[in-house]
Amino acid sequence: MSAQGSHAVHAHQDDGAVHVHIASSQFYWGIFGALICLTILTVKVSYYDFGKANIFIALLIATMKGSLVAAFFMHLRHDKLFNTIAFLSSFLFLGIFILLTYDDLGNRGRVDNDYGGRFQLETGQAAPGGEPATTATSDSVAEEAPHGAAAAHGKKE
Amino acid sequence: MANVSESVHAHGDGGGDHGAHAHPDFLQHHFDTPVQQFNAAKLGMWVFIATEILMFGGLFCAYAIWRGLDPRVFDDAHHFLNKILGATNTIVLLFSSLTAALAVRSAQVGKRNLTSLYLIVTILCAGVFLVVKYFEYSHKFHLGLLPGHCFGHPGLSAAVQNGEEVGTCLRVHADSAPVMPEWVKAADEDGHVRLLSPRANMFFGLYFVMTGLHGLHVIVGMSILAWVLYKNIKGKFSPAYFTPVDLGALYWHLVDLVWIYLFPLLYLVGKPE
Repeated sequence: MSAQGSHAVHAHQDDGAVHVHIASSQFYWGIFGALICLTILTVKVSYYDFGKANIFIALLIATMKGSLVAAFFMHLRHDKLFNTIAFLSSFLFLGIFILLTYDDLGNRGRVDNDYGGRFQLETGQAAPGGEPATTATSDSVAEEAPHGAAAAHGKKE
Repeated sequence: MANVSESVHAHGDGGGDHGAHAHPDFLQHHFDTPVQQFNAAKLGMWVFIATEILMFGGLFCAYAIWRGLDPRVFDDAHHFLNKILGATNTIVLLFSSLTAALAVRSAQVGKRNLTSLYLIVTILCAGVFLVVKYFEYSHKFHLGLLPGHCFGHPGLSAAVQNGEEVGTCLRVHADSAPVMPEWVKAADEDGHVRLLSPRANMFFGLYFVMTGLHGLHVIVGMSILAWVLYKNIKGKFSPAYFTPVDLGALYWHLVDLVWIYLFPLLYLVGKPE
């Protein structure tokens, strides 16, 4: 009996035609409504200052919207699980990429807010890979007088 | 055992007189069944979408790093983006995503004319998005926020001296930073005159590259949807075969998805006034 039952299911799946879940139009409009509400929310929330939480709130709402789009507009909810895994794996690898880049830069010293570039907290010296922009600009400041000549020269070329 | 051999036999029957297994026009030779072809196409599209996310990911990473290094400058600079125009474009794209999803649904149930209608609305929304973007861009060009204009290397802008106008943005020497002369003074979207650090060019550089790459995707998406529309009008699709409509819509949803993140990251985060 059970063997026959599974055979019947097998035969249905194997008719070779495409069977997909078809949501109603009203359902899609409902998702759209939710997306609009979240958009209005994220704009409204941006007028209040939550300090460092600002970006996390914005990203949280964006992720909620993105999930709605991916799950329903893009049919992932009723699609093969492997497609969802392929999709989500991109975010995993993106996360690894960003974290490692952050870790690398985090160990190179601090940014100098007045002059640009980075310096090491302990020594006050320019950090490796973060030369301050002052070297380049102080040269051009020193050359202030022949600026017009430089421009004319530039035109000739 | 008998069951197994029977099902194997049914498979072998593929190209025969078996109704569902007869080779329809849309079925490529290297696929056994339409469902196999459909699943392969879908998986391929999702892998492509993953690569697209990784491509944009490089820019999002750059954004994260530079924002982390220069939070104050990003905060100042983001006031030069118009929240209302950004939100309008978000809603336009979300609506176009809805109509794209409805186009797929109409194709699934075999309403060909309705599919065409939804595709046309989607393409029109993409056009509206680009027009709004055009006004945003041209305003920023006018202010001189494009890299290289107000934000050029001091040596390249030798003709522009202290206080002289470039477009409507003024170059001023900030007393606090005499060695970084190229500060930019301009009115933001709320009409406040702000002094922008020269390093604000990083924000605007990222803004133009990220929204530019996204805009390019909008144009490509429009072309894909136009091609799908053409095929649909020629009657190539049916409830048995609607893969191009589905995949074209997936591409369009990806464009929407990227914008869902671009909008808050560029227009919204930062200290409100």
